Amino acid sequence: MKRQSWISLGLGGALLLSGCGVEGKKQFVVAFSQANNAEPYRAAQNVFLAKLLAQQPDVKLVISDAQQDNSKQVAQVETFIRQKPDLLIVAPNERAALTAVMGQAMEAKIPVICLERDILQPNYTTYVHSDNVAIGRLAGQFIVDHLTKKYGTPQGNIVAIRGLLGVEGEINRDRGAKEVFDKYPEIKIVADPVADWIQAKAKDRMTEVLRAQPKIDVVYGHNDPMAIGAYLAAKELGREKEMIFVGVDGLGGQAGGIRKVMDGILAATFVYPLCVDKAVEVGNRILHEPAFKPEKDYLLESVMVTPENAAQMYQQFTLPGMH
Amino acid sequence: MQSARGGAGLLRRAQSLAALLGILILAIVISPTASDGSRIFLQAGNLTDILRQVSLIGIISLSMTFVILTGGIDLSVGSILALATALVAMFLTRGYTTHIAVAILAAVAAAALAGALNGAVVAFTGIQPFIVTLASMIGVRGLAKWLTNNQNIDIGFGKDLASEFAAIFREKAIVIGAYALVAAMFWVVLARTVFGRHVRAVGDNEKAAEYAGLPIRATKIWVYTLSGLFTGFAGVLYAAENHQGNPNAGVAYELDAIAAVVIGGTRLSGGKGSISGTIIGTLIIGVLTNMLRLNNVDSNVEMMIKAVIIVLAVAVQRERNGT
Repeated sequence: MKRQSWISLGLGGALLLSGCGVEGKKQFVVAFSQANNAEPYRAAQNVFLAKLLAQQPDVKLVISDAQQDNSKQVAQVETFIRQKPDLLIVAPNERAALTAVMGQAMEAKIPVICLERDILQPNYTTYVHSDNVAIGRLAGQFIVDHLTKKYGTPQGNIVAIRGLLGVEGEINRDRGAKEVFDKYPEIKIVADPVADWIQAKAKDRMTEVLRAQPKIDVVYGHNDPMAIGAYLAAKELGREKEMIFVGVDGLGGQAGGIRKVMDGILAATFVYPLCVDKAVEVGNRILHEPAFKPEKDYLLESVMVTPENAAQMYQQFTLPGMH
Repeated sequence: MQSARGGAGLLRRAQSLAALLGILILAIVISPTASDGSRIFLQAGNLTDILRQVSLIGIISLSMTFVILTGGIDLSVGSILALATALVAMFLTRGYTTHIAVAILAAVAAAALAGALNGAVVAFTGIQPFIVTLASMIGVRGLAKWLTNNQNIDIGFGKDLASEFAAIFREKAIVIGAYALVAAMFWVVLARTVFGRHVRAVGDNEKAAEYAGLPIRATKIWVYTLSGLFTGFAGVLYAAENHQGNPNAGVAYELDAIAAVVIGGTRLSGGKGSISGTIIGTLIIGVLTNMLRLNNVDSNVEMMIKAVIIVLAVAVQRERNGT
């Protein structure tokens, strides 16, 4: 018992200290339920959100990490509802799982911003997102232009490296690009292995593809890490000069895709907006302007990053604290 | 001999109960307050949130207690849960049946079958349960992914059979009630039945149990079958709660369940332990998680605190028992 009371004291003390805040004028609490801190895109969202809100002394941000577990995220949102934050931002892990609990937050009169992934019913005040089909089309058009330049006519062999099957990003980045490719019968997707968004898996799957395919012109990775994994596989077999590598995400920082465009590894990447800046802009108005009625839906555009604009984009998308 | 063991068991339970009370008191003391000055932790809504959140792992850890009491382990529960979520969602959304009960039975039966297979291999080959269930953890996950083509099966919010199923079985009272009912059942079976005595005897001293003519193989097959069956039931509840059949659900749930069992004072090598201890262990984790989340403790710190609590909870009990 003695030992337990020591733990209790230590723990309690630490928590009390961390919980102490300065009382004064109205403090706003913004709660952010993140699906999975372990993904670079989401880690970047956290860093960016913290940075933007740090500029506002009257706003306190709390972030919870569901570690890619639906049940955990539902529980964390439930706990946030008990705390009654002034604004709740949810980046849902999966659409069906979070729909009901976000409805409960709305019923509890908490303004809810749904970030990036949608849910089954519009249980949110506003939805800030980008359009993966449009990004897929942009990537597809870039690839067609490259092939046309290379051969004079639109023709060539493409390898698509796919993300986790069944996820919206995977479905739509694939669909958007295929809409473009389908117009050119001489452009063929010769292999489309699944690598679950993971660089190491993409390298393994690409190694097999390289063994089987004597001629590859373009690798289209549904995210940058997979495009980089494919590059590493090709480099190992000395074939990286034979083809170009195109990715999606366009994160800043040393490990991000924009840096890889500057380094000449990727021919292009397409920025999938973090959505956080728009969420903060809209969220701030919800907090500070009682009469403000946000749109139900904010759609953010992508940006193409090529060697021509990569250095400039790197400045724009690299945040302090990002590695 | 019998009374001495009973006394030690009672003491152990008293200690885990003291640990739970300690954490409860700490949670109350450091709980943030709502705008009306009441402690958020003590709100009925929050307390029932905790119970609902622990119910699934709670149910799995009850049958896991039986497995561990026989000196075994079941690593396949996370995968079996995923299989059950997938099956119940497939039956409900693809018109295989018009009765909710049939879909539930199909999922639970398949899960029980997977458990029975574990039990049969353990009982008849003598291969260590760790290895047998490690293999089925991989194999059953593969089966769930194969059946669903690695895609989630979403359950909507409409008026169809699947939606009706989710609306019923995600009800807080139903989930908590199910956990309470299963817990009572396991408690009675372990404490009051011949089968319960066999479970303990097999894990306490298998040789002695063999000389005493106890049905060792049958007992082992049964505990793994029960583990599969009740994990399947937890999977049905998961599908309702998260509105989806998900072949990737339940990753690492086996570890959460095992943690609840050992925090509750059940000896990992078998023979000694109790259902009440496991319930307490489950609640300790649940209250701890809720307390840390309510106080917005950084999720990385949360993991470190949990690690310390698990080791301490077990260490305190070992010290007192001299085992």
